[in-house]
Amino acid sequence: MSELSSLLALMIFPGGLALLAAGLLYEWADRKLVAQLQNRLGPRWFQPLADTFKLLAKEEIVPQGVHKGLFWGLPVVAVAAALTAALYVPLAGLNPAAAFRGDLIVALYMLSLLTLCLGLAGANTYNRFSVIGATRTLTQLFSYEAPFMLSLLGPALVAGTWQISSINQYAAGNTWMILTQPVGFVVALVGLMGKLELPPFDAPEAETEIVSGALTEYSGRGLALFHLGKDIELVIGLTLVSAFYLGGLTNPLAFLLKTLALLLILAVLQSLFARLRIDQTVGLWWRVGALLALVQLLLVIVLKGTGVL
Amino acid sequence: MEGNFERTLIDGLNTWARTNSPWAIHYNSGSCNGCDIEILATLTPRYDIERLGIKLQGSPRHADVLICTGPVSRQSRDRLVRIYEQMPDPKFVVAVGSCAISGGAFRGLYNIMGGIDEVIPVNVFIPGCPPRPEAIIYGVVQLLETLKK
Repeated sequence: MSELSSLLALMIFPGGLALLAAGLLYEWADRKLVAQLQNRLGPRWFQPLADTFKLLAKEEIVPQGVHKGLFWGLPVVAVAAALTAALYVPLAGLNPAAAFRGDLIVALYMLSLLTLCLGLAGANTYNRFSVIGATRTLTQLFSYEAPFMLSLLGPALVAGTWQISSINQYAAGNTWMILTQPVGFVVALVGLMGKLELPPFDAPEAETEIVSGALTEYSGRGLALFHLGKDIELVIGLTLVSAFYLGGLTNPLAFLLKTLALLLILAVLQSLFARLRIDQTVGLWWRVGALLALVQLLLVIVLKGTGVL
Repeated sequence: MEGNFERTLIDGLNTWARTNSPWAIHYNSGSCNGCDIEILATLTPRYDIERLGIKLQGSPRHADVLICTGPVSRQSRDRLVRIYEQMPDPKFVVAVGSCAISGGAFRGLYNIMGGIDEVIPVNVFIPGCPPRPEAIIYGVVQLLETLKK
């Protein structure tokens, strides 16, 4: 019986099909919102699904000079890592499928693994655009990772646990942490945009200068899998930030409302700002983001130590 | 019998996905830029072709439809063929403008090969000098209609 329920958790909900469907729908919502903000109609609701099916049915060209095993395996590892991270977050406001002390760290590193796979996939080819894209992807990874992590540690410290489900329960029972730690919320949101390589942080896949970054040489299946991984990362990122800062996710309706509200903010920011250069991105996160998050974290530690919180 | 059913199901799904998500790449093989400006106008929010699932891609590896403008000059011939060969199957070519059809005003010059179909197979020709954005969208829709058959 427990094997059956684990299998269900992996294949159907929250690990497999449900998550893929949610990822595709959230990608559509994001594209639709951006389109509406640009005064367009935007794509139809099944657009990401059609894109994925089409890519899966296309020829996959393996360029000369790549390591074939890596070229084939990296997209699979990327999607697997994103799907694994989903097991620890409260998707749809229900309890996570798996939980242990410190699973926040594991979930965050599973999400970073996806970016790492992207960087390796770009560095694997001889294509100069891929290599530049890979360098930028990894540079960006090193710049947003610390502030994003620090901003998620704030709520973890207040709740006194590094287990995502316990932080979620704590957040549901207390004041929304967007009010008590507003700086952390902003840093987390901006860090999430960097993680997803959304504009203005899309220098790694800037199609006006470096074709499409690390994914330039990918066609067909590999491209589809990387896109799916990004979609899943979007859902997980939105879930994490809204669970920590927007008063927890306790039921499916709250999940839908809070994540969609967050997505709306992301869409507005995406259409408001133009792309930053990679050095501006790094500067923004290390000089501003990381410092602010650190100050916030110190404040939380001091307040908790003196017994105010 | 059962295998046949699955085959038709998969084929139907493929056709559905292909006709609803044509990603395009745009190449100018020697045109005067008039058609390119019209193609860019087609991509603006006013015509919003993302509602048909059409997306402009940077890399030939991601594209399904190659939108070509202009006559093929001897210099850009190799590059056009190379871009066409870099695209993964199934791939389609749309020739935009009079020059892309026959060489147009440049026909017969010493440095011009002729229309796009002198070099690579073309699926749809869109006449006009330059064609309006509506005509370009109509041409791409004609291509998608032929895919359904």
